[in-house]
Amino acid sequence: MHQHILRNLLQQELIEPEDAEKIALFEEKKPFSLHWELKTLLYIGVLLLNVGLGFLIYEHIDSIGHVALIALIGAISAACFWYAIQHRRPFTMGKVDSPTPYYDYILLLGCLTFLIMEGYWQYQYQIFGTRYGLATFIPMVLFFGLAYGLDNRGVLSLGITALASWLGVTVSLQDLLSKNDLNSTVLVQTGVFLSALLAVIPFVSERYGLKKHFSLTYLNFGVHIGMISCLSGMMLLDQKAIYFPLLCAAVGFFLWYARTRGSFYFFTVAVVYGYIGVTYMLISFTSRMNFDFMFYLFYFILSCVGVILFLTNYKNFIKTDAP
Amino acid sequence: MIAYNTAWLDALLTKETAQEWHQKRLLSAEKWNTIQERNPANFYSPNVFVRIGLAIFCLILLMAVMGLAALISEPDSETGFSAFCFFWGVVWVVVLEFWSIRSARHRGSGIDDILLYTSTCMFLTSICSPLHYSTSMLTYCLIAWPFLAAGSIRYADRLMAAAAFVCSLLIVLLIVKDIPRVALYLLPFAGMLFSAGGWFFARQGQKRWEWRHWHNSLLVVELLSLLTFCASGNFWVVQQAGADLFGLEQVPMAGFFWMFTFMIPAIYISGGLLHKERHLLDMGLAAVAAALFTFRYYFHVMPLAWAAVIGGAVLFASAYLAIRYLRRNEGAYTYEAHAETSLLQEVEQQLFEQGIGAQNPPVSRQKESFGGGEFGGGGAGEEF
Repeated sequence: MHQHILRNLLQQELIEPEDAEKIALFEEKKPFSLHWELKTLLYIGVLLLNVGLGFLIYEHIDSIGHVALIALIGAISAACFWYAIQHRRPFTMGKVDSPTPYYDYILLLGCLTFLIMEGYWQYQYQIFGTRYGLATFIPMVLFFGLAYGLDNRGVLSLGITALASWLGVTVSLQDLLSKNDLNSTVLVQTGVFLSALLAVIPFVSERYGLKKHFSLTYLNFGVHIGMISCLSGMMLLDQKAIYFPLLCAAVGFFLWYARTRGSFYFFTVAVVYGYIGVTYMLISFTSRMNFDFMFYLFYFILSCVGVILFLTNYKNFIKTDAP
Repeated sequence: MIAYNTAWLDALLTKETAQEWHQKRLLSAEKWNTIQERNPANFYSPNVFVRIGLAIFCLILLMAVMGLAALISEPDSETGFSAFCFFWGVVWVVVLEFWSIRSARHRGSGIDDILLYTSTCMFLTSICSPLHYSTSMLTYCLIAWPFLAAGSIRYADRLMAAAAFVCSLLIVLLIVKDIPRVALYLLPFAGMLFSAGGWFFARQGQKRWEWRHWHNSLLVVELLSLLTFCASGNFWVVQQAGADLFGLEQVPMAGFFWMFTFMIPAIYISGGLLHKERHLLDMGLAAVAAALFTFRYYFHVMPLAWAAVIGGAVLFASAYLAIRYLRRNEGAYTYEAHAETSLLQEVEQQLFEQGIGAQNPPVSRQKESFGGGEFGGGGAGEEF
């Protein structure tokens, strides 16, 4: 294939014969990269180990062997963290490249085994007693610390999920004790609050130049948690007056973000969530008016044409000169 | 033969190839700029996320338009429905040809993809809906085949090419299945033979300059044929097919199929490494997993948890050692990431584009709540 292209370019005199010779030599001697295959193997290895160890503890929880098992898991976790600390690069405010190719995966394995071990302690010895919040608070602090200290976005997402469950726990368990039923209003409100927090953090970090490349991870969690919370507030709690304006604000925020930062991902995501919200509002408003089915079909046709026109002209909307 | 502007397709191909040379500093920036200027391609091909969004809204739009038309015209008879589908099949293909591709210059925009798929579905529904309910599967496949083949040739679409390949394989298998007495023995070999044929066709096709615009479709066929070749002789597949189709409890020539199940990964991987065939190698790695799953299905030598722990440790250690070796011994193989990307890598890259979980694949979703005395403090895994 490349010989043909090379020949064509030579004929059009777009490249010099000596360049063409170099290129031909390069194509012939090009090394075969196993990068992607090996990375995938590392990742699957970490996942399998994590799932397997978790299952083992679960199955052997009442047998004698579990002490040895938990010691093994603890040793793995400790060894991973030790490796991560030993091989770390000095902390900077910006992006730090991984010191070794397997570094990220070893750190990830350490964090995941830590979670298994901590869950086991809580189950077996109730080290946190009934203060369930603490059980997620500790990994959260640890993961955020590691993510910032060692510059790792995978651990950052673990930290964000720990943060989400910490907020979810504290709220729902208090409710559980006081009202004896899990009130989903609180969960939705927590979701909105959490997503607002996740959307603010990147701007504060960028203001101080701290780990700017973490922004996408925060916003990616923020956009989905926030939009889904607003939509469930509208649909399940039936509090449209509160959550529809919130949804509009969120869509507006992410469209603005997409426009200024040139992000196609947030552009599409915001449009899709916004469309779901608007369509739901229309249907619930008109449901008592006994409109013909045709009315809705017309709505879909006109709205989709509108959205498609908006999406196809994304180049006018998004400032593509931004990074 | 191809619906898209071939000069632009060529320009894209040239630029893609020259870009790698430029990145490897084999072409000066000045030359690279001239090449870009002299090879203009004015396709409308948006970013992958915009493409997904456009595809979603285009699909809703087409459904709503057809729904509205159905409400107005009310095709109540069988022929009426068939004619209705045919009419819309024609409409969408005309819109695809004359508006989407010719005037709006779409290529891989989400809109042209959805128009093509919807139109094909409408044509097939139109032909298949009047058929009697006892019509055999083979008839359906034979009806679908020309549309899928034509679609994959004219629009060089990967999904259509995949569908056409699967459809052809089904035709072969369905014919062989009904040969009296020997069907049982022939079926796996028919699958293997067809897959091998598909693989050689795809390999040869990729080398042909005249077929350069179908390069990606042929890659899909190559991957699929490797997959179906491996599946044709896999013990589990053969045993299940034997039980379902012929009610057999014992697989004839069990030894041969067991050997095949375990030989294929070895052949694929060694072939992939020796001949530097990335797709062969990648499918070989997948075939290892398939062979292990097949083995575990019949022989429970080890509890699942231990198997996962040991498997994970072995995978991790072997990848670790391989990376260490490659980084110390530069040669024909390297660990360095490289500009040439295979189809599978492209899929992964597109998923992680814009740095979402770029260096680390996303971590499995955790439960939002932490029930009393339950495991899994925010991420031990879903199984608890």
